[in-house]
Amino acid sequence: MNLFRMFVTQTRMNFTWYFLRDGEMMFWTLAMPVFFLVLFSFAFSSGPSTRTSTFLVPGIIGAQVLSSGFWGVGVMLATFREKHLLRRVHLTPVPSWVFFASLVAYRVTLLATQAVILIAVGAFVFHVRINGNPAEILFVLLLGTATFVSLGTIIGALARTTESANNIASILTVPLAFLSDAYIPIDRFPQPTPDLLRLLPSTQFIEIFRAVSTAGASLTEYSGWIIALIVWTIAGTLISARTFRWT
Amino acid sequence: MRRRQRKPLRSPAVYNLVADAIVVENLVKYYGDVRALDGITFRVRSGSIFGLLGRNGAGKTTTLECCIGLNQPTSGKVRIAGLDPANRRDLGTLRRLFGVQLQSTSLPEKATAGEVLRLYAAYYSIAPHPAEMAERVGLEGKLDRQIAQMSGGEQQRLALALALQHDPEIIFLDEPTAGMDAFGRRILWAEVEKLRDAGKTVVLTTHYIEEAQRLCDTICVVQRGKIVAEDTPANLIARFGGAARVSVRADGFTPDLELRSLGTWVEHSDEWQLVTGDEPGLALAAVVTKANQSGATITSLDMHRPDLEDAFVALTGERLGEGQ
Repeated sequence: MNLFRMFVTQTRMNFTWYFLRDGEMMFWTLAMPVFFLVLFSFAFSSGPSTRTSTFLVPGIIGAQVLSSGFWGVGVMLATFREKHLLRRVHLTPVPSWVFFASLVAYRVTLLATQAVILIAVGAFVFHVRINGNPAEILFVLLLGTATFVSLGTIIGALARTTESANNIASILTVPLAFLSDAYIPIDRFPQPTPDLLRLLPSTQFIEIFRAVSTAGASLTEYSGWIIALIVWTIAGTLISARTFRWT
Repeated sequence: MRRRQRKPLRSPAVYNLVADAIVVENLVKYYGDVRALDGITFRVRSGSIFGLLGRNGAGKTTTLECCIGLNQPTSGKVRIAGLDPANRRDLGTLRRLFGVQLQSTSLPEKATAGEVLRLYAAYYSIAPHPAEMAERVGLEGKLDRQIAQMSGGEQQRLALALALQHDPEIIFLDEPTAGMDAFGRRILWAEVEKLRDAGKTVVLTTHYIEEAQRLCDTICVVQRGKIVAEDTPANLIARFGGAARVSVRADGFTPDLELRSLGTWVEHSDEWQLVTGDEPGLALAAVVTKANQSGATITSLDMHRPDLEDAFVALTGERLGEGQ
């Protein structure tokens, strides 16, 4: 059994089928985040402001991580199951974790592309500076992806149909993006709202990511939240593994 | 998970030593309160073509799903090449041994036929040979076509190619020709006949009489989750098909003593019908000779030899009906 070949072939096919041949998907993943950055950079201040953009670049990347987990993995799995694609794959020797890992690898590739584009646009258009250690930034990005993929997979496991998976993902993604410090600084809300919102894994992830990437903070300052994200990831993985059905 | 005493059979060479490729014993499956399978028992000899014949909803697909690990029986036993598909480790071994064409295989819409064949070749760790597979299932020159642009029949033939590409020893086909046109059926039937020649074991479910009669060495007639008969097609017809019939419509024709010795005659309005246990061809010839001798003009003449459909109706009290 050549697991590596299975993984590489499946990941390449995912990229070709669900991204390169899907114009709508390309637009949403590549153009929309940049559009948000430009729009909000102008809207939140009376002109292009480096301070707003510096807040937004890691926020938008973080929001993309969330939707990657909820839509890109969770809803996608529900769709695969509803279309009887999972049960067909389940009849072949490909291990389920390889199939799953390929879906995640495809989403991580997209996320990396989105992050590079957003950072580049931020740097060249709005003079946003990334001050952090690249290894630490990558670590936080991958940890966040793991957290939201594992939580997203619960949606894919529990939702019986694509439609209900879609609904759950919408209900979660949109408010979370606005309540997790992604687009709007939550400190503008009166206390104790910001403190309560900082209990959400989405807020924790986005704030660590922002601190490590643009503020140039060190990972050790956020060890508590990093442990929290690891716990969220383990919990999500356990629940998904116990509830996920192929048919 | 249960610990196994013996080592699982791994190679196809060892598998060939198992006389019965498939053993199903007293399989019961409940969906809620509904008893979908009510004690299904059969054995499939290695190298034979085995058919589950029945109407939609009879339990054929559920039985097949229990054989390939897609469904867990409520009770009963399934062994494929001596292995238990309900056991995770055994199923891992079996997945390389069997090939499956499901009733509805939906593949990613934007995938091309060639890409899917290559991906499945990777799943089975074999060298891809999409062009050869395309030729086998009549998809030559269509490897670059996306699934969404293929007809239902073409998708079914691609599903067949995916079932056969890794040269499995046991092949499960669930209603393989449903939705296929005449071309697709010819291709599938030819492939099944090639599998028979290659000594492979095939299990297929169908509600097409012609398909069952033509392909199967053994047919199990399934009705409401039970097997009502199991035999070769010829034996099923001989045992349950009933008598042959000759019907004749002719002015001034009445069967005489000699014709009456051939079987039982019944008159329906102006048609005479003979039910005979003898060779109906000879009876037909005798009827024509007598009618000519007595100067009667034959307006219609019909002979019916019992077929599998008759046997099915006699066994189940239901018609199969083509194109259900």
